[in-house]
Amino acid sequence: MLDRLALPRPLSLPAPTILPVMAGIAAAGLIWGAFQPTSMAMLVTWMPYLAKGFGMNIVISLCAVAIGTLLGLVLGALELSRHRLVRLPAVVYVQLFRNAPHLVLIFATTYIFPFEIMVGSLRIPFPDWMKATIGLAIPASAYVAEIVRGAMQSIPTAQWEAATGLGFSRSQTLRWIILPQCVKRALPPWMNLYASITMGTALASLVGVNELLHAATDASTAVQKTDFTVAIYLTVLICFFAYCYPVARFTQSLERRFAAR
Amino acid sequence: MIDALFADIVSRAQSLGLGFAFLTSAYERTIWLDGIRMTLILIAVTIPVSLVAGAAMAVALTSRRPFLAGPVRCFVEVTRNTPTLVQLMFGFLVVNMLIGKALGGAENNPLTPFFWVVAVVGLHIAALHAEALRAGIESVPEAMLEAARAVGFSRLESLRFIEFPLALRTALPALINNLVALAKLTTIGSAIAVGEVTYASIMIWSQRDNVVELMIVILLLFSLINLAIGWAGRWLEMRLKIPGLGV
Repeated sequence: MLDRLALPRPLSLPAPTILPVMAGIAAAGLIWGAFQPTSMAMLVTWMPYLAKGFGMNIVISLCAVAIGTLLGLVLGALELSRHRLVRLPAVVYVQLFRNAPHLVLIFATTYIFPFEIMVGSLRIPFPDWMKATIGLAIPASAYVAEIVRGAMQSIPTAQWEAATGLGFSRSQTLRWIILPQCVKRALPPWMNLYASITMGTALASLVGVNELLHAATDASTAVQKTDFTVAIYLTVLICFFAYCYPVARFTQSLERRFAAR
Repeated sequence: MIDALFADIVSRAQSLGLGFAFLTSAYERTIWLDGIRMTLILIAVTIPVSLVAGAAMAVALTSRRPFLAGPVRCFVEVTRNTPTLVQLMFGFLVVNMLIGKALGGAENNPLTPFFWVVAVVGLHIAALHAEALRAGIESVPEAMLEAARAVGFSRLESLRFIEFPLALRTALPALINNLVALAKLTTIGSAIAVGEVTYASIMIWSQRDNVVELMIVILLLFSLINLAIGWAGRWLEMRLKIPGLGV
């Protein structure tokens, strides 16, 4: 009895690992295909179209996070400035756009930006997917700024003083002591942000960008069959899951590794 | 009286270069104000749904019974790793259609777009709540549970009176964050024609081309809603604080 009481509490069921999950999904798909060969064949013929759509999701997510990260690093630095006048605009930007729904920002950029930009006599087209990218980059930059600020502030200021005592210059301290710790702290939330922006790319379908969800709607309207509709929307769910779940698992393992030290 | 008030607002905005002329049209004004009301209703209805479902899922996740924890764990992972809009479309276009077929025609289906937004957004956020509460339940010190068992608390009683109240306090900041996300997510209702503020604004700006003006109002509205949620969260944190517990 005493032994049983002293035993550590068993943890609740852990998140399933990637490979068995993916194998399970693939097996379920094959079984469904065996029972519904005609729908399966149709799904296969639509596959390239869907893949092109999902490629668009990935392009938008990568561009949005790249722009958002660059902008967010600057904003985060501004937020840490000693001067109130520098800090204030950055703080207002971050608060406003962190609270803004992604969908609203995508609508805003789509409707406000022109469909082409004139640089001198050159007409540069400005397609909808780029506008949606900017619409997602804006909240991404606000989140990155918060991640940067949090990571920088989590480093005790005494480290700066200690580094000065050891003869490091200010920039050397930043490069060799502060930033490596910041990266470690900022990486997991940054990857969470990437996954969340990737899922946000589905919103671009509502402003007519031809991404995965839009492609699926096209396909289901073209075919007009119940089991095909079910299958194609399930495929959309599976595509996003197959892309985001490994990212989430990797983030969790990073968190555990960094927490252990 | 009210018309005069709106006319005054419109002319003041006009002098700032902002086109709020739609406020003078009773029809458009009604759509827009109804949109704001619908957003607030959606948020008010979805928050309790998400909290109750999240608490239930957290209990299932920590129950140590695989037949309970397994399916809930799967649901949580799928929900967290797929876009809410896709889930909404799956619910509204696929599940709704199947329910309609099972009931013998879409006209017999009582489920409205409003229901699907509340269900999908509520369950999506519930999955996030569940993870936060699970972490809170697991962080309750072992010694406290042993003490509870020693004074004769059953597993369920210990969960109800000891683990859950403590987990709620640990998880509260995360729960508030999730509720802020919930408020923002309700905008996807516009995708299936729930007349919330985004949907109403689209209807107005496609007639009047005043996107910037309406966007400013939407951004301010959501900033206000989220400030209110954050404020309520901090108030609750203060109220529930137990001196000497935690940090």
